[in-house]
Amino acid sequence: MDMERRAFLTHAAGALAAVSLMPDLLPAAPILRGEPLNIGVIGVGKQGRAIIGELQKLDAVKIAALCDIDPGRLEGGVRRAQGAEGFAEYNKLLDTRKDIQALVIATPTHLHKDIALDAMSAGRHVYCEAPIASTIEDCRAMAQAAKNSKSVFHAALEGRSNPIYTLARSFFRSDSVRDLVSMRAQQHQKTTWRTPGSDAAREKALNWRLDKGLSTGLAGELGTHQFDVFSWYRSEYPVSVRGSGAVRVHKDGREVADTVHCDFVYADGVRMQYMSTLANSFEGKHEVFHGSNAAIKLAWTAGWMFKEADAPTQGWEVYANRQQFHNDEGITLIADATKLASQGKLKEGVGLPNQPLYYALSDFIKSVTEGKAVACSAEDGCRASVLGILANRAVVSGETVTIDPSVLKGS
Amino acid sequence: MRSSDPDWPTAPSNREGAVVRAAVFAMGTRFEAVLAGGDESRLRSVAEAALAEITEWDQRLSLFRPDSLVSHLNRSAHERAIRVDGDTFELLSACREVWAASGGAFDITIGPLMRAWGFRGGPADPLAVEAARACIGMDAVELDASEQRVRFRRPGLALDMGAVGKGHALLHAAAVIREAGVESALLHGGTSSVVAIGSPPGGAGWRVGVAGTGITVTLHDQAMSVSAPRGRMVQTPQGRRGHILDPRTGAPAGGAGLTVVLGDCARLADAWSTALLVLKERPIGMPASLQCLIDPCSLAPSHNHTTASALLAGACSER
Repeated sequence: MDMERRAFLTHAAGALAAVSLMPDLLPAAPILRGEPLNIGVIGVGKQGRAIIGELQKLDAVKIAALCDIDPGRLEGGVRRAQGAEGFAEYNKLLDTRKDIQALVIATPTHLHKDIALDAMSAGRHVYCEAPIASTIEDCRAMAQAAKNSKSVFHAALEGRSNPIYTLARSFFRSDSVRDLVSMRAQQHQKTTWRTPGSDAAREKALNWRLDKGLSTGLAGELGTHQFDVFSWYRSEYPVSVRGSGAVRVHKDGREVADTVHCDFVYADGVRMQYMSTLANSFEGKHEVFHGSNAAIKLAWTAGWMFKEADAPTQGWEVYANRQQFHNDEGITLIADATKLASQGKLKEGVGLPNQPLYYALSDFIKSVTEGKAVACSAEDGCRASVLGILANRAVVSGETVTIDPSVLKGS
Repeated sequence: MRSSDPDWPTAPSNREGAVVRAAVFAMGTRFEAVLAGGDESRLRSVAEAALAEITEWDQRLSLFRPDSLVSHLNRSAHERAIRVDGDTFELLSACREVWAASGGAFDITIGPLMRAWGFRGGPADPLAVEAARACIGMDAVELDASEQRVRFRRPGLALDMGAVGKGHALLHAAAVIREAGVESALLHGGTSSVVAIGSPPGGAGWRVGVAGTGITVTLHDQAMSVSAPRGRMVQTPQGRRGHILDPRTGAPAGGAGLTVVLGDCARLADAWSTALLVLKERPIGMPASLQCLIDPCSLAPSHNHTTASALLAGACSER
């Protein structure tokens, strides 16, 4: 094949993919109109620091304040976010910085509710890390408060803002997978999940995820984000979940399992199997959909489609980038394929140009400043978080938990 | 150049006074930490927090991740001034200081040259070297301290933090360990960048050897960086040359065969060990707090390292 024809086909392939799916898959950054939006970040731990880094990429916002009860963390945060005022108490931030219109809540899960409710009462917009709360009652209270508030409430289920996940969802919903037969997900890491503190009291507070009275465990704290991908793709929630878990490796006196399995069943009988462990990092974090035409694998910064040999050709995939996984060949799902193809840079489009967190924060800012529909509402956050809480109940009890749709509803 | 595995203490079975080892893959190599003294569970959590710092810096500085901050800067900083976090701004400012003090022998804007010579994944493109040389230079990087913004004045300029990233990450990881109150630890990145905190249990310092040289150094609250161009080679009209480029000429450095730098700061040690490979001699502007060994002949297989060992021993004894 001569080079001109190859170039044309590559271009056409990218164009086809985009035309049939979405014309502009990589969303533009929020627009700066006049003064930037003043924003505060509450909780400057690992996630809070990541949030600061992504917010700093957005010219439409200014990090005006940070809040953390730990002086060391607060100091580190203020060092990173030049010009931000530091607070030890979020109420003081709400009372004294009336110029701050939006807050990002990145505290331990069980502390979200009071902060979110106070922030919305004070007329502030809220971006809340997920799970949004650690009890069903708190989840509902937050969803109800958001419903009665004029403030934007964005639940941080990042899959819903991720351009690759949006692209893959359009494939999923356009029958590329065909008959869905099973789903699975995993989150594997090698870590103790333990955080060092300056003294015993601080260490206990920092290790809330290992406190079975506060933590929703691996299923809730981590799995919630992944369970929501399946719920969002299918537009339905599972009807039951069976779980099991144990402390397999980190036998340091903890009671929160370091390895868990969940088996979700949907109304049509299709199952989603989930595994999470803190003992081994192999294959990290991903979700897989298996259908009679294709499988889709999503790994947060990249995604692939694995087509069956007898699946109909859709055109665009013939010249798409491919990656080999032992005996299987994955077609790389690339956002913004049209633009990249026109520049002859399709290969450079493999992998997101920003972290998933960036897109979620961008969506929130756009909802506040541009009136864009909220990508993940308090109701979405409530349902996903309650599902995670129920999955953790199944893990802790080792039994099957029935998921009544009314239990998931927030308002 | 890779230094040999340090003398790791053997982990005792009791939980108090424990020794913990932990490792992570980042920046294209393996980082490892050994922490000693105190409760094993707590030591492990401190080690993980330190390694998490390294992973976080890898996510910010990596050229190979499209979602890294450096990739973001390389894509966009020529179009508009990009705001960065305070720690990254401080890193870039420190790199500018070494660039100035080394007369341009150390330069983090070397990205286009590394690509042109085929050291960053793609094939070498000799025709691109001149164009790459024309667009690099730290003088074309604007650092606006008032807003912590970065802007590239020349199109095509791209940062490559390969010569300083490991040391910088180790600097932050060591700070995490010190803040947690751990007084005995050793960290290394790819065995070429090392930070020692205190001494190992029962020892006067952490003994670290430089593989293939016979050099052994005892480190105590000190950082060490070893650089040599031999790790990756490329064919040039002048013969096979290593992956250390001279930013001033655009060509692989034909200088020293091995450099070792000792000092308080792992980042400075890393940056200067690269600069010295290019310069072949210690410049006036190099901080007096850094001690160095420059071995010009290390490429020769039959080189006798007696002189090198003596030089380094002399440097160490000055502490």
